[in-house]
Amino acid sequence: METIAVIFGGRSAEHDVSIVTALAAIIKPLELTKKYRVEAVYVAKDGTWYWDEKLKDIRMFSSGEIQDFLHRSHPASVQFDGGMTLVKASGIAGRKQSRKIDLVFPAMHGTYGEDGSLMGLLDMAGIPYVGCGTSASAVAMDKVLAKEVAFANNIPVSKFLAFTKADLERQPGEAVKNIENSLSYPLFVKPAHLGSSIGISQVKDATELRHGLEVAAHYDDKVIVEEAVPNLVEVTLPIMGNDRPQPAMLEQPMTQPEDFFDFETKYLQGGKKGKGKAGTKGAQGYSKIPAEIPEEVYVRAEATGVAIYKAFGCSGIARVDMLIDEKTKRVYFNEVNPLPGGLYAHNWNRAGVSNVELVQKLVGFAKERHSQRQALTTTFSTNYLQQF
Amino acid sequence: MIRQLLSLYRPGYPTVLVYMLQTTEYQVGPYLEWLHRTKDFSDVTKRRTLDPTKRARLLLLALRVGITLQILAGLLLIYLGLKHHVAGGAAFGAALIIVYPFAWAYLIVLPLLAGRQLSAAPQERRQIAASEKIFADHAGVKIAVAGSYGKTTMKELLKTVLGEGLDVTATPDNKNVSSSHARFAAGLTGREDVLIIEYGEGAPGDVAGFAANTHPTHAVITGLAPAHLDKYPSLKAAGEDIFSVTDYLKGKNVYVSGDSPSIKPFLKETYHIFDAKGALGWKVEAAKTDLAGTDLTLKKGTQTLNFHSGLIGSYKFGYLAFVAALAMELGLTPKQVEAGMAKTTPFEHRMQPYRLNGANIVDDTYNGNLEGIRAGTALLKELAAKRKIYVTPGLVDQGEENERVHHEVGKLIATAQPDLVVLMKNSVTGYIQKGLKEGGFKGELRVEENPMDFYANLSHFVAAGDLVVMQNDWTDNYA
Repeated sequence: METIAVIFGGRSAEHDVSIVTALAAIIKPLELTKKYRVEAVYVAKDGTWYWDEKLKDIRMFSSGEIQDFLHRSHPASVQFDGGMTLVKASGIAGRKQSRKIDLVFPAMHGTYGEDGSLMGLLDMAGIPYVGCGTSASAVAMDKVLAKEVAFANNIPVSKFLAFTKADLERQPGEAVKNIENSLSYPLFVKPAHLGSSIGISQVKDATELRHGLEVAAHYDDKVIVEEAVPNLVEVTLPIMGNDRPQPAMLEQPMTQPEDFFDFETKYLQGGKKGKGKAGTKGAQGYSKIPAEIPEEVYVRAEATGVAIYKAFGCSGIARVDMLIDEKTKRVYFNEVNPLPGGLYAHNWNRAGVSNVELVQKLVGFAKERHSQRQALTTTFSTNYLQQF
Repeated sequence: MIRQLLSLYRPGYPTVLVYMLQTTEYQVGPYLEWLHRTKDFSDVTKRRTLDPTKRARLLLLALRVGITLQILAGLLLIYLGLKHHVAGGAAFGAALIIVYPFAWAYLIVLPLLAGRQLSAAPQERRQIAASEKIFADHAGVKIAVAGSYGKTTMKELLKTVLGEGLDVTATPDNKNVSSSHARFAAGLTGREDVLIIEYGEGAPGDVAGFAANTHPTHAVITGLAPAHLDKYPSLKAAGEDIFSVTDYLKGKNVYVSGDSPSIKPFLKETYHIFDAKGALGWKVEAAKTDLAGTDLTLKKGTQTLNFHSGLIGSYKFGYLAFVAALAMELGLTPKQVEAGMAKTTPFEHRMQPYRLNGANIVDDTYNGNLEGIRAGTALLKELAAKRKIYVTPGLVDQGEENERVHHEVGKLIATAQPDLVVLMKNSVTGYIQKGLKEGGFKGELRVEENPMDFYANLSHFVAAGDLVVMQNDWTDNYA
C-alpha cells in the first residue's frame, strides 16, 4: 500500500483554511479509497512539523486541544534519503519512529505552501506530489507576476500598479499620487502573495486608499493596486489535469459590484455579505453553479480559464478566477489559485466528480508528472573539473 | 487476538451484552447465536447504541451488580489464599475474576427467561385473549396485510388513501405480531371504519394464529419471496403459512399480488389478483415512474382515475392500482382517491429517493428480500444516469436457499449493468460475486469491510449525475 503524506497548516495567514482543506477534502477521501496509508503532517504556525494520527481529527483543532498536543508532542523531522522519510521520537524509551513516504499531497495555502516553497523542497527530494509545480505556484501566487504573464499571453487584465512594502513605507504620499494619476477609482488594494481574500480592500478615495495600502503592506512585502472592472460578474473555474486540462463548472460568487469577498465572508459567514439572492450552496454556500451568464460568455470564460492554466504551466489542480464586464462581455484574468480551498470539491461534485474520485485523479496526475520528469535528462558529463 | 480478549474486560462490556439482547428483541436463541459468533466485543455496536428502556436498565443493573460481586468475591478469595493460606483460595479467586465475562454472558439470560415465564408471557397471553374479543366485536372493515415483503408499503398506502374518506387506523411501524396486535386493539375506539392489521410471519402457524385472533374481513397478500427461511423449512412452507389467512376468510375478499412469481402455486379462482395491468376490474391505461413519483391512469367502463403518487418504481403499479380500486369499492369518490394518492410519499428507507451532492440516492435499506432486489435492480436499469451504483450486503435468513438466492441476487444486479457495485463483506459476498460474474457484470466491484464507513461517508463517493440504489442493511446482529 502506498503511503501519502498530507502536509497542512503552515506559516501562512491561511493556516486555518489549510486545516479544513486537508482534513475534510483530502485525508478523508484518500482514506476512503482504501488504497493508501495516509499520514497527517501538520506544520504549526511557528513552522514546526508534527506527524501523528490524532492530527486527522478536526476536533483537535476546533476545540483548541491542538495547543496542549503540540506542547506534549515531539516534533517530526524529514529525512531526504533518496526520497522522503518522516521521523519522530515515539515517546517510548526515545525510540525513533519513521515512515517512508511515496507521495506528498500538499494542502497548504498561501506563503511557504502554495507559493512554490514546499514544491521546491519536494522537487529537491525527488518525490511525486499533487498540484502545481514550483514555478507555476510561484508565479500564480504573485499577483503582479501573474498579471504580467497573463498579459504576455494576450489575456486581458485590468489596469494595475505594484509597490514594494519598502516603497510604501518610504514614500506613502508618492504612491497614492502615482496611483491617482494612473488609475481610476474604485480600486482594489491587495497583498501580492496572499489568497483567501486576506488583506484586500476596495477603496473609493484617497483616504481609503492610504488605509488599504497600509493593511495590505501589513500582510505582504509587495502590494498590487488594480482598477475595478465595471459591470462586474466574478467567476471562478476549477481545472485539473496535466497536459489535457479538464475544467469543472464555471462558478459565480454571489456578489454585487459594490461587494467583494473578504476572508470573513468566504469562510466564516457562509458568504452572507453579498447582497445577491441566495443561490446554490457551495463549499462556503455563496455561489451559483453553473454561473448564470449567457452561453457565449460562459464558453469564452471557460476557454480563457483553460488558456490561463496552460500559460502558467499549471498541473494537477488549480482554480482560475476571472472578471467579466457584463456589458462588453469581456473576460479579464484575475488570479490563479494553485491549491483551491477544499479543492473546490463542491464544484467538482456538481461536475460529476466525487471527492474520492477527485483525490484519486490528483494522485494519478502527480505520478504522471513525476514519471515525465524522471524521464528528463538533468545531468551530463563534462571534463570541466579535470582542468583543476 | 489480544484485542479480542481484552474486549471482554472493557467497562462497556455489560452494555454490549444488553445491547445484543435488545437488538435480538430479548430472544435467547438469536442472542446466543450472536454471542457465539462475536469475537471482538468492542466492535459490536456499529449502527446504534443501547436504548435505555426500563427493561434494558434493569438488566444492565443486574449485570453490573453481579459482575461486581463476582470480582469482589474473587479478590477476597485471593486475599484469603495469600494472607491466610486458605487452600486453593488464590487460584479459585483468580479463576472467578477471569471467567466473569463468560459466566455473565449466559447468566444474564436467566432473569430474562424467568421474567418471561413468570410475568411477561402470562400478561401477554391475557392481553391477546382480551384483544380477540375486541377484534371480534369490532364492526369495521378489518384488512389483514400479509406477505414476505411489501406489507408496510401496502399498509401505509391503504391507510393514507382510505383515510381520505373513512376513519382508518393501522398497526404502527413494523409492530406485526400478536402482542403488538393486542396493544393496537387496546387503543381502538370501536368507531373506526377500517382497521389495517399487518401480519409479520416468523414461524409456521403464525399467520393462522393472527387471523384467529384478529378476525379479518379482508386479506391482502403482497407477495412471496425467500425470507425467514431459518424458521420455515422451505419457501412453500412460508407460502402455506401466509395463505392460511385465506382459510379463515374461506377464500372471500382475498386480494393477491400477481406480480410475485412465487405466489402462483397458491392462487385460487376466488382470489382477486392485482398486478401492473390492473385490479378489481380497473385497467392500467398509462403508467410512468421516475424519481419524482409515479403517474397512473386507471379505467373501468366509462370511469377514469388519474393520480400521482410519491412512490417510485414500476413494481408499485400493481399496489397503487389495487389500493385505488379498493378505495372505490369502499365508497370513496375519485377525487378522494386522487387526493389520497397525492399524499402518499416514499416511506423511510423504502425506495426513498433523496439528493446528495447532486447525485440521486434511492434508499431501500429496509428492503430485505429477493423481490425487493428484483424491483431495485429494475429501477436502476430503467432510470437514466451518468453513473449507476448499486450497494447491498445481501439478504439474511435465507436458510438452505442462501447460496441460490445470493447467486440470483448477483445475476439480478448484473442485469441492471451498474458502473459500480459495492458489496458489504460478509458470509454471502462470494455467492453474489459468483452471480455477478455469471451475469456478465463488467463494471467495477468494491467490497467494503466496514459498511458504516461507506454509509456514513456516502457523500464522498457520489457526485452529480450518479444514481445510487442502496438495498438492505444488515443490523448489527447479522453483520
